[in-house]
Amino acid sequence: MKRTNRIFTILIFIFLYIPMAVLILGSFNTGKNLALFEGFTFNQYKELFRDKDLLGLLGNSLLIAILSTATATAFGTFAAVGIHSLKPKMRKAVMTLTNIPMTNPDIVTGISLSLLFVFIGSGMLGQKQSLNFWTLLIAHITFNLPYVILNVMPKLQQMDPALQDAAMDLGCTPLRSFFKVTIHEIMPGVISGAIMAFTMSLDDFVISYFVTGTEFVTLPVKIYSFTKKPIHPKIYAMFTLLFLLIFVLMVAMNLLQLRGDKRRTQKQAKPPSRGMRTFQRVAAIACVAVLLIGSFALIATTRQDKITLNVMNWGQNIADGSDDTLDIIAAFEEAYPNIDVNYAEYASNEELYSKLSTGGLVVDVIIPSDYMIARMISEDMLLPLNFDNIPNYQNVIDTYKDQAYDPENKYSVPYTWGTVGIIYNAKYVDEADVTGWDLLWNEKYKGQILMFDNSRDAFGIAQYMLGYDVNTTDKAELQACAQALAKQRPLVQQYVMDQVYAKMEEENAWIAPYYAGDAMMMMENNENLRFYLPENETFNLFIDAMCIPSCAQEKEAAEKFINFMCDPEISGANMDYICYGSPIEGATEHMEEYLAESEVIYPPEEILERGQSYGFLPEDITRYVENLFLGIRVGKTAEEEEVQSSGSALPVVLTLAGLAAAGVFLCLPKRKRK
Amino acid sequence: MSKELIRLQDLTMEFDGERILDGINLYFNDHEFLTLLGPSGCGKTTTLRIIGGFLTPTSGRVLFDGKCINDVPPYQRQINTVFQRYALFPHLDVFGNIAFGLNVAKLPKAEIAQRVSEILEVVGLQGFEHRRIDSLSGGQQQRVAIARALVNRPKVLLLDEPLAALDLRLRKDMQNELKRIQQAMGITFIYVTHDQEEALSMSDTVVVMDKGRIQQIGKPEDIYNEPKNAFVADFIGESNILDGVMLEDYKVKFFGRTFKCLDAGFAPNEPVDVVIRPEDIDFVPPEEGHLTGTVTSVTFKGLNYDIIVDFKGFKWLIQTTDHQPEGATVGIRLNPEDIHVMRKSEYSGMFGDYSSYSAEYDELTEDAADEEE
Amino acid sequence: MKKNKSLLLSGPYVLWMLVFTLIPLGVVGYYALTDPSTGVFTWGNLRDLSLFLPTLGSSVWYSLVSALICLVLGYPVAYYIAHRPPVTQKILYMLVMLPMCMSFLLRTLAWVGLLESNGIINQFLNLLGIPSLELIGTPGAVILGMVYNYLPYMVLPLYAIIVKIDNRLIEAAEDLGCTPVQVFSKVVLPLSMPGILSGITMVFVPAVSTFYISQKLGGTDTMLIGDVIERQFKSAGNPNLGAALSLVLMLLVFICTGIMNRFGSDEEGGVVV
Repeated sequence: MKRTNRIFTILIFIFLYIPMAVLILGSFNTGKNLALFEGFTFNQYKELFRDKDLLGLLGNSLLIAILSTATATAFGTFAAVGIHSLKPKMRKAVMTLTNIPMTNPDIVTGISLSLLFVFIGSGMLGQKQSLNFWTLLIAHITFNLPYVILNVMPKLQQMDPALQDAAMDLGCTPLRSFFKVTIHEIMPGVISGAIMAFTMSLDDFVISYFVTGTEFVTLPVKIYSFTKKPIHPKIYAMFTLLFLLIFVLMVAMNLLQLRGDKRRTQKQAKPPSRGMRTFQRVAAIACVAVLLIGSFALIATTRQDKITLNVMNWGQNIADGSDDTLDIIAAFEEAYPNIDVNYAEYASNEELYSKLSTGGLVVDVIIPSDYMIARMISEDMLLPLNFDNIPNYQNVIDTYKDQAYDPENKYSVPYTWGTVGIIYNAKYVDEADVTGWDLLWNEKYKGQILMFDNSRDAFGIAQYMLGYDVNTTDKAELQACAQALAKQRPLVQQYVMDQVYAKMEEENAWIAPYYAGDAMMMMENNENLRFYLPENETFNLFIDAMCIPSCAQEKEAAEKFINFMCDPEISGANMDYICYGSPIEGATEHMEEYLAESEVIYPPEEILERGQSYGFLPEDITRYVENLFLGIRVGKTAEEEEVQSSGSALPVVLTLAGLAAAGVFLCLPKRKRK
Repeated sequence: MSKELIRLQDLTMEFDGERILDGINLYFNDHEFLTLLGPSGCGKTTTLRIIGGFLTPTSGRVLFDGKCINDVPPYQRQINTVFQRYALFPHLDVFGNIAFGLNVAKLPKAEIAQRVSEILEVVGLQGFEHRRIDSLSGGQQQRVAIARALVNRPKVLLLDEPLAALDLRLRKDMQNELKRIQQAMGITFIYVTHDQEEALSMSDTVVVMDKGRIQQIGKPEDIYNEPKNAFVADFIGESNILDGVMLEDYKVKFFGRTFKCLDAGFAPNEPVDVVIRPEDIDFVPPEEGHLTGTVTSVTFKGLNYDIIVDFKGFKWLIQTTDHQPEGATVGIRLNPEDIHVMRKSEYSGMFGDYSSYSAEYDELTEDAADEEE
Repeated sequence: MKKNKSLLLSGPYVLWMLVFTLIPLGVVGYYALTDPSTGVFTWGNLRDLSLFLPTLGSSVWYSLVSALICLVLGYPVAYYIAHRPPVTQKILYMLVMLPMCMSFLLRTLAWVGLLESNGIINQFLNLLGIPSLELIGTPGAVILGMVYNYLPYMVLPLYAIIVKIDNRLIEAAEDLGCTPVQVFSKVVLPLSMPGILSGITMVFVPAVSTFYISQKLGGTDTMLIGDVIERQFKSAGNPNLGAALSLVLMLLVFICTGIMNRFGSDEEGGVVV
């Protein structure tokens, strides 16, 4: 019995630690794939310490964790003392309030706070950037407070109330008696509360994800946005170091506790010598000072006098200096030393739109696609550009000017253009099957097909395949598309956006529709991958263009940035990395030859003619499509949905009310008889 | 006696509408050892906490040296307290605990050290300066608590059941010790206890309390010999309490017989309670006795026997060294000095009947007084 | 005097918690009942909820299954730890706690590496001559992810309760003629009930609302309610529908904790992490 239990426990511990072992092993891997150990190296650690951005993110996480823990600990401890001396009824009510963030799912806490901040900041105060460092700090303090309170309260309850009386009896004022006596008694609770708050805060992803703006991002939120490629192993190196640090801290804490226990069992307490006591005091003060100074230094470094330009771009849609490319952002910052670029990413036009329309962000430059530009113009979300500040606009090839999405070309400057086709793995996919869009519906490859996880591209493919106009507003046609997509659903392994990279490169999926430039990048990493545009069907031809959203704060700097990107040399260097077509005259001369000549990037004219661009869709159609797509995603067929959405709200409301009543009833305290 | 130090005027205390103290009037003299005695819940600890300044009375005044100190917080009163479970600071050693008050008062280090070592000598704990609190025995902790209070040289020391947590032997030793310290320091001790023996043996004055009211104030002997009502009679020692009628001065009638007694000042034919202490009763042969009864139970108690005797259905407790077998018929004689007559009170008829006697009766009263407030 | 002090100390806290926990929930309610484009009052968002009932159902199902698996796996571990010598207990406790302090995103990603069709497990199986299994993208993978991430939340409260069970009670039960199985079922299990209930709650709540685990380890069929909510806020641009969904999720969680409170003892502040 005991032995089986021991073996079982060991197995569970192995289960708990295997993934961590995988990550630690990954940090010594020369390759980037966690599942494939290619060779041993310490390079990832070197890279980690060279990566200022990553260390900066870690610094952000630490800063938030330290500040929120310190505030919550001080605030919470005093509050706990206050709550403790409240009348029992009041105390119970306050403890219920305290338990709300503990029992509420993180996602609800995060959403509710972000809605509050946006509601107050943007809605009531007219702030542009209502989600920022301070909102993140407030959120962290809010979810840290209960940890402190719940750890301190039991210690207060255990404490002999006579101790405080005794201190007052011996001449202490209430405040003094708190510092001379109470604090010593509740210290273990305060410390464990603080430690818990610190770790929760450092590792928090969900709440931060919802309340963070663009200017201040913590490490977990950033890690979440690394979806395109397998995560760079230097992050595993960071994980390993953090693991060691926390491990050492925990061991040290336990040792200290053990020593304390031992000392307690000894009869004679050694009187701490005066020197020792002074040393302890100095050490404590020094620690606090270092923490505070460090925090302020961190704040200071994040708040320089420079202009901060917030650029928001598609994931991995700018050359970043890796693989011998030019680091465009660094080049820009070099050219304009007073501008500091803060770069953020999004995975789809819809995500960008949501971020901007939810509010709470400051973004100066965005690079949406054609149809989204049209939608944003119609909703007044873009600012007209001052072309005097963009002299390089003359470099833009005429074909890409005055497009349908921006007929007078007032709001946008083209960044890239490209096509949407199918990328497949020749090792597994029969060439004979590679003809048109129907490859994505081929039963043979069930479970190996990936599909777009955004409504516009997904419906676009169905529309091209069924031969409808891609900008149709005919609901019957859209219904037919939805049915086609619903039919495809069982074959699809996963609906993805940038995760397509890892999936395809590591051959965990075989077929996926995606953007040509990204396909090119994937093909560089896996030679079995091929890209094609359907032979006789239409396909999407898109232009991504740079715009300035109405929430921008640094319009002039933004225009400088746009101008910079229109330089042929820069554009060419950029295309070396992102592998799309450049709309800039002469850019091809600065590109690597194999790219400039690639048919994936620059398909022949006769094929390009079949390309169709997305145009503007009215809002009700957009929402209609979005809901249809969501229905497909959650596995509802189109017909069912039609019935549902025309139904009355009454049953739902009644059910909800019933559930609410049940909840309230259950939450009421049990009536106890003494 | 010496001069008056503290006076309580019409003290009333209510918690959540419940009356804990009900019009307490009391004064304390300088150098006096005064004990507040009563069962748990009688209000004695509340009274002490009001004097200490931890509670503010609902109405009434506390005068110290003639000045009202109702609004003076505890840390400004020249009064120190020894708490029920000592309330020693676990994060400090013996020295740290005793020096606490002096440190707060910011006395020079040398003086603190000197006063601490002096007081350690008084309580007999020399050399214990740097012992941890949790390594001390109960008695030692007790001494530290007393030293911690006394080292501040208060005018009054409040002691809240300081010996309740000690075992019997240690308690006896500490009683003597406390009395000695009180006399050596020459300050006022206000002592709270539910243990009547403790109260009687240590105090100059005993105040018996119940239900938030003072039942009797007096010297220990007076309280024992002349209880004012059935409650006091029963709470202090064992008593057989009978219904009687005071026919005239020095004549009381009960059990259908008239007895001589030493009490006077009652109205003619006033109904009264008659107290007869169990140890004052002597057995005589049945034919010589004023009363005759049957022995129903005999318990050996070491010094004496507890014998329950049934007199016409009313059971008396008799403590005697004179053994009587169960079932024997015995007679008793009552001398005038054995009979104490009290006025009728709300307590009449509640005490003094041993019909439901069990051998553990004295333990019942002893254990009942853990927590008050 | 005392009254003022307690109000002075707790007042700011209560105010803070009202502003940053209670009022935000009100704002969620406000968004749930307004139209996304016009901002006027509507029942529309609530009506659209019916579309997501199956998703909600499967979320609840997955997290309940995970909670039960966590219980089955966690109980013996907690029991084992609680019956070690104190120093070993401390070490083991720390080892259970440690994973909770490490990035849960990265640990989940490690599972992706393990479970993928060309992942570590399948490579290992291939080495043994066993054909690859379809691991990732299945409900099993999602449940595995939940169990893995939230198992410590089960073990710790269980341990805290079991370690407090007085050994003399077990001896008493044995003395009264219980077999080891009976000792467990009649004494140990009922006494550890509070730990079981709090463990189940602590696993269930984060599991039912997760979106990362299902996004990374799930496939097309494992969309959870958390995914849908995240999507409404981050890509579909319909925070109002998202708010309505959050409201439902919150209600669900309150009902669950309410049920747990009903059956559990109502000790004050019984949350042990």
